[in-house]
Amino acid sequence: MKIKHQLAVFNLLTRLLIIVVLWFSLPVLVQKVVYSHIDKSILEKKQKFIQHLDNEEINDFMSRNDSTETYASFSTLHNEFLQLYRAKDNFVKDKSSFINERRVIEEEENDYRVLYYNFTYENTKYVLEIGNSLSEINDLTFSIRFFTTGLLFIIVLITFLADTFFIEYLLKPFYKIINTKIRHVDEPNGFNYTEINTHSTDFKELDLVLNQMMFRINDLFQKEKQFIGNVSHELLTPISLLKNRFENLLQNESINDEGIDKIASSLRTLDVLKKVINNLLLISKIDNNQFANNEHISIKEIISEILEDFEDRIEEKQITISNEVADDFNFLGNSTLIRIMLYNLLLNAIKYNIEKGKITLATHFSADHYLLTISDTGKGMTEAQQSTIFERFTRISIEQEGQGLGLAIVDSIAKFHHIELNVNSKIDVGTTFTVQFPVEVTKKS
Amino acid sequence: MNVLIVEDYKELATELVDYLSKNGYLCKAVTTCEDAQEEIAVNDYDAMLLDLGLPDGSGFDVLKAVRKSKSKIAVIVITARGELDDKINGLELGADDYLTKPFALTELGARLFAVIRRIHGFTANELNIHGFTIQLQDYKVSFEENPIALTKKEFDIFQYLALNKNRVITRLQLTEHVWGDVLEINSDSNFIDVHVRNLRKKLAAFSKLDWFETVRNVGYRINI
Repeated sequence: MKIKHQLAVFNLLTRLLIIVVLWFSLPVLVQKVVYSHIDKSILEKKQKFIQHLDNEEINDFMSRNDSTETYASFSTLHNEFLQLYRAKDNFVKDKSSFINERRVIEEEENDYRVLYYNFTYENTKYVLEIGNSLSEINDLTFSIRFFTTGLLFIIVLITFLADTFFIEYLLKPFYKIINTKIRHVDEPNGFNYTEINTHSTDFKELDLVLNQMMFRINDLFQKEKQFIGNVSHELLTPISLLKNRFENLLQNESINDEGIDKIASSLRTLDVLKKVINNLLLISKIDNNQFANNEHISIKEIISEILEDFEDRIEEKQITISNEVADDFNFLGNSTLIRIMLYNLLLNAIKYNIEKGKITLATHFSADHYLLTISDTGKGMTEAQQSTIFERFTRISIEQEGQGLGLAIVDSIAKFHHIELNVNSKIDVGTTFTVQFPVEVTKKS
Repeated sequence: MNVLIVEDYKELATELVDYLSKNGYLCKAVTTCEDAQEEIAVNDYDAMLLDLGLPDGSGFDVLKAVRKSKSKIAVIVITARGELDDKINGLELGADDYLTKPFALTELGARLFAVIRRIHGFTANELNIHGFTIQLQDYKVSFEENPIALTKKEFDIFQYLALNKNRVITRLQLTEHVWGDVLEINSDSNFIDVHVRNLRKKLAAFSKLDWFETVRNVGYRINI
């Protein structure tokens, strides 16, 4: 999930949470505010009533309804009432309390907020009740709740959109950094050092650090390239000297047979040394992308050329070659490298084959791949051996000649060309190498 | 034939001079770009062996200067770098051939011979070995007007040994010449023996081959 999407989801969730909390807490809040408001006005009325209280008025109230000794007065719309009566028991002086009650007043039932107030006047105990209707308040609470929630929804929507756009704007430099600097960069040379335009210092810093890092990597890459060049020069020149000196010595008539043998053997050792260095140089150069890969290569052609080169070996071991390379395939890459890769694979197929063995070459086209299989009838390898054959300096057996670099080179070349290599081997049955060329590379050409 | 050797590694230059002198070339060795350019300006050389990594610059600078002067000198670039770029660069700038260190002296001899022959348009396109005639350009061998059918590899071997007459040529040198500079370590050079055996069989049908010598454990030599 991208950061902007994560932020959007987070924004949405927090806002929904706010709405839910408000939806449930709003009525309580509104009620509280309204009650305190009503209570205040009721208390004011009570104060007024008590202040203007005198005997005459009490008597006036009471005389109207002698039987109950209760006085009541109602406003016309029944949203307020006032009641005064003599207290019976449970009298606590100056106690006032608010209670919500349902009352029937003149055949109309309503919810009221009622103040009970106990007081004494000229040694007589009275209870005063002042009520205020709640029906309007309930209506009001509902509409406030409805209206507020609607408003909240609109606010949430607007802020959510604003946030989303702002996040998108804020993160734009970040995606630009990813797209232009990190993605599509195969090698340090291809790095783009242009500054990314942004107001966020974080991204400026990221950009700067990335640039510095790539600069260092590029620097190291160049140094490694140089190092390889220097090593090859420094090692190969002395080898060249020794080789030429031995060759000149070989012509010296005064050296006896034993001396000649030793010189020839030294020359062979020098040749091994030279080839080990050249092989290692080749691997480093491939791994450092120092080869162009824009040549059109006909796999079929290369294979028949290599088989021609191997004529002697094939004849000597009396190996049957079954060349079923039917479809030609034009691969875009480095022809020298592809040649070396197929050369090494075929060389192994011959070298580790039995006398009068067989090598089968077959091809197969699938939707996005071109498959080449090279199967031999050699001694095969165990699973453990198969897992290490592509590593440098690995030799399957002690009696095996060579330095164990052939398949390491094959592996490097395959990786360089995005070719997939697979090996399948059974002891005493044979080994099959599957080379899977990506087809889209050719289509690009 | 005058050859200028531009190589900063003096001991190597000495070996090159040693080999080429024995093959009838007049050699002069210098170690810097500056000296090389001076030598070319002052003296008339037929060929130059040019190392690329020189203490006062790249051998390419010498090559550029030489080609600007329209000199007909044959240039063989020798370098340890062996980088693909260098190869293309060198041939584009007008090097006539290219050898990567380490190379066999006999290989150098053969290349030098071919390059000088090409540049100066020598008519001497034939080598005569004990009655056998090798036509270098046409890849043909005959004995007193009788053509001998040789394979490409047999011809290459015969020609290489003839060009380096009186020298022991090791199997490795022959292998590298015939199959090229393969990366395979311990590349089995016994196959050379098979081809040499076939070659000798074909030649022996016409004449005695006591001059075609097998040097035990080492290689072969054609004596004249």
